Amino acid sequence: MLFGLSPVAWALVALFAPLAAAFVIAVAVPLRKAGKPAAYLAILAAALSLVGAVFLMLRQLRAPSDILIQTVRWLPSSGQTIADIGVRIDGISVPMLVVVTTVATSVQVFSLGYMADEPPAAFGRYFGYHSLFIFSMNTLVLAPNVLQLFAGWELVGLTSYLLIGFYWQKPSAARAAVKAFWTTKLADMGFVAGVVLLFVSTGGFGWTAPTDPTLHMWIGFGLFLAVMGKSAQFPLHIWLPDAMEGPTPVSALLHAATMVAAGVYLIVRANPLFQALPVRELMTWLGAFTALFAAIIAVVQTDIKKVLAYSTCSQLGYMVSALGAGSLMGGYFHLTTHAAFKALLFLGAGSVIHAVHSNELADMGYLWPKMKVTAVTFIFGALALAGVPGLAGFFSKDLILEALYEHHAYGPLGMLMIAAFLTAFYMGRVVFLAFFGKATKKTQAAHESGPSMLAPLVLLAVLSVGLGYFGKRFAGLYGVEYHFHLGAVGGAASVLGLAGLVLAYAVYGARWLPESSFAFLAPVAQVARSGAVDKLYLFAFHKLALGLANIVGWFDRYVVDGVMNFLAWATIMGGRRARKLQTGNAADYVYAVIAGAVVLATWGILR
Amino acid sequence: MMPLQPVLLLSAALFSVGIYGVISRRNVIGILLSVELMMNAVNINFVAFSHYHQSSVGQVFAVFAIALTVAEVVVGLALVILLYRSQKDVLVDGARALKG
Repeated sequence: MLFGLSPVAWALVALFAPLAAAFVIAVAVPLRKAGKPAAYLAILAAALSLVGAVFLMLRQLRAPSDILIQTVRWLPSSGQTIADIGVRIDGISVPMLVVVTTVATSVQVFSLGYMADEPPAAFGRYFGYHSLFIFSMNTLVLAPNVLQLFAGWELVGLTSYLLIGFYWQKPSAARAAVKAFWTTKLADMGFVAGVVLLFVSTGGFGWTAPTDPTLHMWIGFGLFLAVMGKSAQFPLHIWLPDAMEGPTPVSALLHAATMVAAGVYLIVRANPLFQALPVRELMTWLGAFTALFAAIIAVVQTDIKKVLAYSTCSQLGYMVSALGAGSLMGGYFHLTTHAAFKALLFLGAGSVIHAVHSNELADMGYLWPKMKVTAVTFIFGALALAGVPGLAGFFSKDLILEALYEHHAYGPLGMLMIAAFLTAFYMGRVVFLAFFGKATKKTQAAHESGPSMLAPLVLLAVLSVGLGYFGKRFAGLYGVEYHFHLGAVGGAASVLGLAGLVLAYAVYGARWLPESSFAFLAPVAQVARSGAVDKLYLFAFHKLALGLANIVGWFDRYVVDGVMNFLAWATIMGGRRARKLQTGNAADYVYAVIAGAVVLATWGILR
Repeated sequence: MMPLQPVLLLSAALFSVGIYGVISRRNVIGILLSVELMMNAVNINFVAFSHYHQSSVGQVFAVFAIALTVAEVVVGLALVILLYRSQKDVLVDGARALKG
């Protein structure tokens, strides 16, 4: 009990404070137009949310296995309740709640500085969207059943659409928002199918799988399709790099820490539903493939945010792969640590972009003396992502690789090993290109960002360094065993990571090797730039979908409409004939009457 | 008591004459007269059956039919006058405005 409020009340505060802020900002137009006050309101709400989450976390740590569910009836039907709505407070939802609110609050404070050049009305609108997003995400995280999770899931999709398309005047941003929306909506068809199947087979929306193995498998596939969309797994990853059109803090919030992690969270939350064997095999392989594929593309990106975007795809691949191998701890713990350092990296990139007014790595260089705090925190984030021993990413990545090794999934393990090397290499590349090397014209005028931007960076950097040591605490919350030991697999991954960093230093730091020694990567860059996967989708869309649509359209136009048109034509022609019967001659009518009388009389006699 | 059959034969003959008149006449007034003949054939039937069954219902019907016929003739004659006004004669051949 804190301030006399029960845990459920705190959960409701965490849930509804941002919603209230979003509502007030949306309705009170003068407040929104004023900009700054709306931002303070949104930050206050996010902070309240964070306080609630931290309180729940402290309580959960005292009793890790405690589960608290409070629901009200939602969809009543003939005396029964089809679904409830409410909150579920347990060791799975609380850590995610803390992750979401921590990152969200940091990002909002950061945005105070980053978005300061926006017109006040846009500034207010931005913070309104942000508040709505936090509410949506918390709805998803605290959901006591699949249906409420789905509602939160779709709300998150909506707010991501609004935030990615925040600069709606730019055609590219509008396109990116639509692309993100449609790609995830396509994947969500799987979610809908899964939820319907679940309801049909179990009569409810609980997390438990039906007994029928075939149904179980299809539910798993359906939900996993949704995960692929939200968590940007190959081949539905195409929206994430484009989503970088949104403001950089949005990328930190949505595309690193929270929304894209919602897919991974769904697997953790609804773990029993994903247990069908083919689904888990698919998860292991697809996750590993995505991790490798995205890491290769990240190496050749020239836009700092796109490097991070592909890196996010890659790391989400790690998590999915680990969950496929049955390592809840590996997947979920990596989600937590990744949220800290990827948010840090995105915000650091935001700080750099704010200073040099460009996303391109070519425009950056030798920023280290000018932006010491940004540089140091960014480097910590990069090292954590690269899996350098002692930092958060090392512990969680090690868990994933060990889990795959124990699962005898050697193929995926190999891919993830290569991805680990590439991760270290491309992060080293970004660090050396942006903070060291030669200064450019754009970096001359660069200067360190203000305190509202640096404070979140420092907080997240501390988390990126320290989170790894709380593995045992997290394992307790998830209800699994955890003993840290540095095995051969983890050691090899660390060596590969360090080798990647050294290679990056050799090429982009000390310049022992010319960049041209990577000419063999040119085809990869070509493929990445031309958007081969996007082309494939366009082909599929134009040739297959539109072809099918043409056939269906032909059938509709000539067969369905044809039958209708024939009936209409026959009616008209019949009418034309029938009107001839009407001669206007009174005698003819009398003939008709007599004929009728005769027919009736004959019928009466013969009957 | 008078047998029913000759009366019904008279009625049928009268009705047939009426039908023939309606079909063959071109003058509207002639057609109206023929319709009256048919009406009267029906009235004869009513009265005959009423008498045969010793029930007064048929006679009541006959009285009603005569009253209605009077009203009908009023309307009919009004139409005839309108027809005469519009085409200066009372022949039905010309009146084909209802042609389909």
